[in-house]
Amino acid sequence: MARGIGGIAAIFLEEHAVLEAARKTKSEGFTKFDAISPYPIHGMEEACDIKRSWIPYVTFVTGTIGLVSGLLLTWWTSAVSWPINVGGKPFFSLPAFIPIIFELTILFAALSSVGALFYACGLPKIDPPVIDPDLTSHKFAIFVPENDTGYDVAKLERMFKDLGAVEVKKVAEY
Amino acid sequence: MIKRNQLIIGNKSFKDITDDICAPVERFPSKGWVGLFLGAKTLLIFYIFVLGMVLANGMGLLGVNHPVAWGTMIITFVFWIGIGHAGTLISAILFLFRQKWRTSVARTAEAMTVFAVMTAGLFPLLHTGRPWLDFWLFPYPNQRGPLWVNFRSPLLWDVFAVSTYATVSMVFWYIGLVPDFATIKDRAKNKVRRMVYGALSLGWKGTARNWSHYEMLYLLLAGLSAPLVLSVHTIVSFDFSVAGLPGWHTTIFPPYFVAGAIFSGFAMVITLMTLVRIGFPQFKDYITIDHMEVMNKIIMTTGMMVGYAYASEFFVAWYSGNPYERYAFLNRAGVPGTSGDYAWSYWIMVTCNVIIPQLFWFKWARRNIPTMFIVSIFVNIGMWFERFVITVTSLHNDFLPSNWGNYAWSFWDGAVLFGSFGMFLTLFLLYLRLVPAISIAEIKPVLDVGKDKKGGH
Amino acid sequence: MSDTHSHHDHDHDEQELAAKKAARPKIEHDNKFWLSLDQYQQNPEFKKLAETEFLSSPLKEEDDSANEGWARREFLKLMGASLAMATAGCIRRPVEKIIPYNKQPEEVVLGVPNFYTTTYFDGSEAIGVLVKTREGRPLKIEGNPSHPISQGGTTARAQASLLGLYDPDRLRAPKKNLFNEKRSNKDGIGISWDDMDKNISEQLKKGAVVVLTGALTSPATRSVVSEFGQAFGAEHVAWEPFTHEEIREGQKSCYGDDLVPGYRFDRAQMIVSLDADFLGAWLTPATFTKQFSKTRKDLGKMSRLVMFDSSYSLTGANADIRVRIKPSQQLDVAMGLAHEIVVNKGRSSYAGNSNAKSVLSAFAGTAKKLGIEEELFKRIADDLWENKGQSLVVAGGLQTLTADAVELQIAVNFLNSILENDGKTVEGRSGNSSLKSSNKELLALIKNMEQGKVKTLIIHRTNPMYALSSSAGFAEAIKKVEMVITTSERDDEVAQAAHYVAPDNHPMETWSDAEVTAGVFGLQQPTIRPMYDTRSFQLSLMTWAFLANKGPKRLLAYETFFDYLKNYWKEEIHPKQGRGQSFDDFWNQALQEGFVGESVNSSARSFRAEALNQVKKSKDKTGYELVLYPTIQLGDGSNNNIAWLHELPDPVTKVCWDNYVCVSLATSQKLKIKNGSVVQLTVNNKKIDLPVHIQPGLHDEVLAVAIGYGRTHVGRVGNGVGQNSYELASVSNGNLVYSGQETQVTVLNKTYKLAQTQEHHSMEGRQIVVEATLKDYEKKKEHIIHRHPIWSIWSGHAYNGNKWAMAVDLNSCTGCSACVVACQAENNIPVVGKKYVMQGREMHWIRIDRYYTGTPENPSAVFQPLMCQHCDNAPCETVCPVLATVHTDDGLNAMVYNRCVGTRYCSNNCPYKVRRFNWFNYVKKIEKPLHLALNPEVTVRMRGVMEKCTFCVQRIKEAKNEARIDSRPLKDGDIKTACQTACPAEAIVFGDMNDSESRVSKMFKHERSYALLEEWNAAPSVRYLAKIRNNGKESASSDPESKGGHS
Repeated sequence: MARGIGGIAAIFLEEHAVLEAARKTKSEGFTKFDAISPYPIHGMEEACDIKRSWIPYVTFVTGTIGLVSGLLLTWWTSAVSWPINVGGKPFFSLPAFIPIIFELTILFAALSSVGALFYACGLPKIDPPVIDPDLTSHKFAIFVPENDTGYDVAKLERMFKDLGAVEVKKVAEY
Repeated sequence: MIKRNQLIIGNKSFKDITDDICAPVERFPSKGWVGLFLGAKTLLIFYIFVLGMVLANGMGLLGVNHPVAWGTMIITFVFWIGIGHAGTLISAILFLFRQKWRTSVARTAEAMTVFAVMTAGLFPLLHTGRPWLDFWLFPYPNQRGPLWVNFRSPLLWDVFAVSTYATVSMVFWYIGLVPDFATIKDRAKNKVRRMVYGALSLGWKGTARNWSHYEMLYLLLAGLSAPLVLSVHTIVSFDFSVAGLPGWHTTIFPPYFVAGAIFSGFAMVITLMTLVRIGFPQFKDYITIDHMEVMNKIIMTTGMMVGYAYASEFFVAWYSGNPYERYAFLNRAGVPGTSGDYAWSYWIMVTCNVIIPQLFWFKWARRNIPTMFIVSIFVNIGMWFERFVITVTSLHNDFLPSNWGNYAWSFWDGAVLFGSFGMFLTLFLLYLRLVPAISIAEIKPVLDVGKDKKGGH
Repeated sequence: MSDTHSHHDHDHDEQELAAKKAARPKIEHDNKFWLSLDQYQQNPEFKKLAETEFLSSPLKEEDDSANEGWARREFLKLMGASLAMATAGCIRRPVEKIIPYNKQPEEVVLGVPNFYTTTYFDGSEAIGVLVKTREGRPLKIEGNPSHPISQGGTTARAQASLLGLYDPDRLRAPKKNLFNEKRSNKDGIGISWDDMDKNISEQLKKGAVVVLTGALTSPATRSVVSEFGQAFGAEHVAWEPFTHEEIREGQKSCYGDDLVPGYRFDRAQMIVSLDADFLGAWLTPATFTKQFSKTRKDLGKMSRLVMFDSSYSLTGANADIRVRIKPSQQLDVAMGLAHEIVVNKGRSSYAGNSNAKSVLSAFAGTAKKLGIEEELFKRIADDLWENKGQSLVVAGGLQTLTADAVELQIAVNFLNSILENDGKTVEGRSGNSSLKSSNKELLALIKNMEQGKVKTLIIHRTNPMYALSSSAGFAEAIKKVEMVITTSERDDEVAQAAHYVAPDNHPMETWSDAEVTAGVFGLQQPTIRPMYDTRSFQLSLMTWAFLANKGPKRLLAYETFFDYLKNYWKEEIHPKQGRGQSFDDFWNQALQEGFVGESVNSSARSFRAEALNQVKKSKDKTGYELVLYPTIQLGDGSNNNIAWLHELPDPVTKVCWDNYVCVSLATSQKLKIKNGSVVQLTVNNKKIDLPVHIQPGLHDEVLAVAIGYGRTHVGRVGNGVGQNSYELASVSNGNLVYSGQETQVTVLNKTYKLAQTQEHHSMEGRQIVVEATLKDYEKKKEHIIHRHPIWSIWSGHAYNGNKWAMAVDLNSCTGCSACVVACQAENNIPVVGKKYVMQGREMHWIRIDRYYTGTPENPSAVFQPLMCQHCDNAPCETVCPVLATVHTDDGLNAMVYNRCVGTRYCSNNCPYKVRRFNWFNYVKKIEKPLHLALNPEVTVRMRGVMEKCTFCVQRIKEAKNEARIDSRPLKDGDIKTACQTACPAEAIVFGDMNDSESRVSKMFKHERSYALLEEWNAAPSVRYLAKIRNNGKESASSDPESKGGHS
């Protein structure tokens, strides 16, 4: 989500409360809101209506690239660029090349997946705004950006209080 | 799902968890830690000196000779690489199997992996005759033809496997750390720590969207690491089994080595965890006796796998009817009529790896900290000797009796071996102070596991 | 052509050169093949260099400081300067022409070696050799194939003598010793030749001069010495440890000839040796091995060798039947055999001779007494008789120098006579009459010295201060001599006691000749100008005589020994051998071929029956007997400062860098000692502490110790290595007794680790050395070898062009180890020293494995030279991560040193373990001027690099280039590896497998040929031919299950 958008945030102390709040917020028709928690909460994706991550596709494609490049590297260097008789073995000794190919596959897949995560989460981010330091420890929050449809501070505040928010605060930017 | 004891005892709140785990990072180091650290650091400096000497004077300082051209360095390399495996196994494979208990130990086990692989990684580089030319092992375009590398050589497979393994397990570890770094940053009282951990946390915010990508990536990395960790020790075992030497040239090596690796790895985890529990009592609530017991069970199981491998090697040697193979194994066991110069090492190995772990048939042994500590030490010793037996006894009596000779063990061999512990322990102790030793973000979801009101998840 | 390794006048050479250039055929410089860029460009500078080069040698002028050596870099520079140098340095010196081997290219080109014929003499054997020089420095010694006696054979010591030339411990200038009153302490100072010569010539005038030399095989030198004798009334005494006096005396009393006869093993079908180690260290091993091997090639009429062995000698190891005895039994055996033939079987002309019978009767039933199975003993006697005229009985060497050494010789001569061998396998006339050194004369001399009857003693090429037991009292006697002068080339034991040291040239630096056998004369020509300020012994004598102005004209007439020599040949040799040739042609031919004349034929001599009466049956001894024996490495210990020889493991014990006492298995158990426990031997109250080596196959009452070790002043390599066991010899009635002396053993509770390169001695029932008895082989033929079915899943690479391969005939190989040293010399292989040999780090590219077969009590031995097998499916190549060892398209397993990072994986995966690793930076340890011995054709390896046999790839390239230059295809035999040329038994054959006519491919097809570890399918390019033992038994003496001891 773009940086520097103000909005309203509600702090909760209980996992089920924030889940509740998320569902409610969604049913209220908000789409741009997000939930913040110290750990991944089971069922939060549905609650906030988040689509399944697309990273696996990246993994697959780059993995395949790794495999092919491994194959090409071993084949080209050993059989094309400078074929040498080594131990009376064929120039292109495929079985012996499999470990290389395998390792390259893994390496490409793993590293590019991590890259994908960084991209997806907009990491790294220098000194991001913090709604409440305890959100990485034992508190939970729902944040509704001001540009969300039907954004109404009073209404939201009331709603969150009803849902058991210990605190509702305006956030200058998040 | 079977009813199990709580993973975390002492009715913790999330706050308590955060406080407990962050404490070592935020508190001033205890005397005990400082003492250990100074010891380890001294050993590390000694290690650096020793490697310097070897570098300056040549491999001749060590006992390697003709016919035993591989010795302490390769043995210890395999030893440390093997230890690394437990970490990845816990963090990746047990994760895929949804073993919730892993969360308490995963972080430290992974750290152990990273440091073990770092320690191991030095050996293959330094044991070459001309270490300053090691970069020739990488296939890079050059002005010599270009002259590439020999992709048929298991050593080259090693280069790829070990470097990939090191990279991936480090990344995996770090990704796990990111949310926790964020936690520490947010709790930070002083500016420097805030900045450092802020940087380390990459600005993690923990929104639901981030978490969903994050969990997916974690799953993927686990999925990739699982085959990787198996492949690494398989390939390490190829260093031996691809060669034609009697005692090396056996198809059982890959599974045998992987089992051995897990075996030694878990032993090392136990060794370290018992120490961590002493050093940081609050962790006892997270790394409970139950955790230890599970790992002890694994040790016993893998121990028996290894024992099976030893036995089957003998069977195959006999069954193959290959005289060289037969001699090699009779010689290991020191049967009369063979030189049997290294039978002692073989029997140390069998005692430590097969016999002693049998103690874990008894529940009390599995749940008794001193006992498991001692057993784990024995297993560590035994596993080092396993590699010694494989490397040295196979080489010292091979095809032509005229070649036969013994390893010329020297002071430097011992120095290299023990020095490597200096490196490992230094890194590990630093880790305990600078990084949350248990994954804060991962432990919280399993807080309720085993609690009566909810049961499993 | 003219070459001036030595001083020359320069105009002469100019003309010489011009003539040469005119005569020289123009070489087409085919731009496709060129040896160097300069040549390619026809660079005039280069041409000039090429021409001047052969005029020069990279040697220093007399006047520059003698103590720093020469960096290889300086060579080219020097080459340019040398012309000037030659003129500046040595005006007034006359020309000495030496002629390169005529099979070599006419003109010398940079980088193209020149071969010079010369003669190597070690005190007993004069071997015809070719010295390979490049840019004026000797690099390698090869046998001279056309030499009539040694026929291209060499020994380990001959090969190693090259290193003696570059020995850093050689004296570089004359030296004077100032002694205190008692001569208990001295102070050495430098002195100029002129001063020294003046003083000496003054002293000589006082008379009472004695010239003490080693055996002088050089006729010209002998004549110098005798004329010197005339000049000063000087007596000439010849002595060195191996006098062979016992043989001469035996011959004298049996036939009246005072000489060492010529033995013809090549004519012998049945050989019985009594402790004569003729394949190892006795008399002329290279020649004998050459002869012996000839009788082993054609298995149709393969000779039989029976050895009665009191040490475990190399000959014993090669014997078809080896009987372990102790020295006191030698005579019994010889006479026992005679008794068997003459008395029991009533054979030979002496069958009726009652006198002979009565003498022999004392030796009845010898076999039983010696515990030899009587059947065997009888059969040996029968074999001798059945092969009469072509059988041969020999005895000799230190092992036989017991109290009744001469009687043994008489017995042996008697046998040879009754077997009608004399004149056939024993040649009275073609013997070597020049081996005249004598213990008795030396002992007499010592008496005179003690009585102060000797004023001046000149010592040359002999070392009684070391090699003579102190009980002879030489050390005391020499103090009574007014002036002692030695020509030692180093500051050795004799030089310690000498007033003046007038260092002799190294044999490779000096002119001489040799009477190889009666009628065959060899020339020894210098291959390098003297490196230091030294002077030949002969010239020293001539100079002193000249200054004293005494002696026959001929002695005083010449400025150099070269002139004397040439004149001597003109006057003495040419008339006899010239065959009408003009002297110049005769001389040049002699120089080119290295020898003249041919050995004279002998006929049977009549045996003086009365000689037999001297032979008395001595009563049987019990208790330990001492055996002193020379090793093939060090011989008499004179070249003790050569590291190659110290590191060369003994072919039988496989121990290097030490001597030790060999005891039998039973004895070791009786004394409760292990390998390396130290014992004290006491021989007539002379004590010596030695480590023990348990030697299977030794007589239980024998204690065998090698001589030649324990020198105190030979140099940094040899000093203090081992113990000096010459000490144990004792003087009894005017002669020296070495072996057979009663010896007490006390076990000290000390241990001393010996460096052994092979510690396991059984083949563990594996097919490594295939051995069969002749009977077996005739029956089973190729089935003596167990073949394995071998298949591969793909066709493999094709080898078009050449495919190099090597065949080794284990039936010819005697294990003499000449190949090992030759390889070391050719390939710049470092020496690592005892400490590292003990750690298993010796560097030899070719090693000789020795296995025992049969019972540990009395095993027989087999040898197997093992070098890189150059496998087609090389296991080492597959595992090298950086392609540092790969296969060439001519079938070589190439080792790319500068690509090697040193993972040592290749060595682990080599089933033959023939790869060697540079654990440290050994090259850095090479001291000047030893670096001059390095072969410029072969890379010097740095630390951390794997190395191994290359099949002498540099020789392959050289031969290919030569073939290209005179645009012809390579023929079989163009390429000979270093080990092959060194081998006196012609056991090693190298060649092209793609040439179906080549010797090697024929040998590969031979039914005895097999590959080592065939079933492993590394497909080696080396194949071995099975060993055949002609011991008349069925089924090989080796029963596979028997285990040799594991030490």
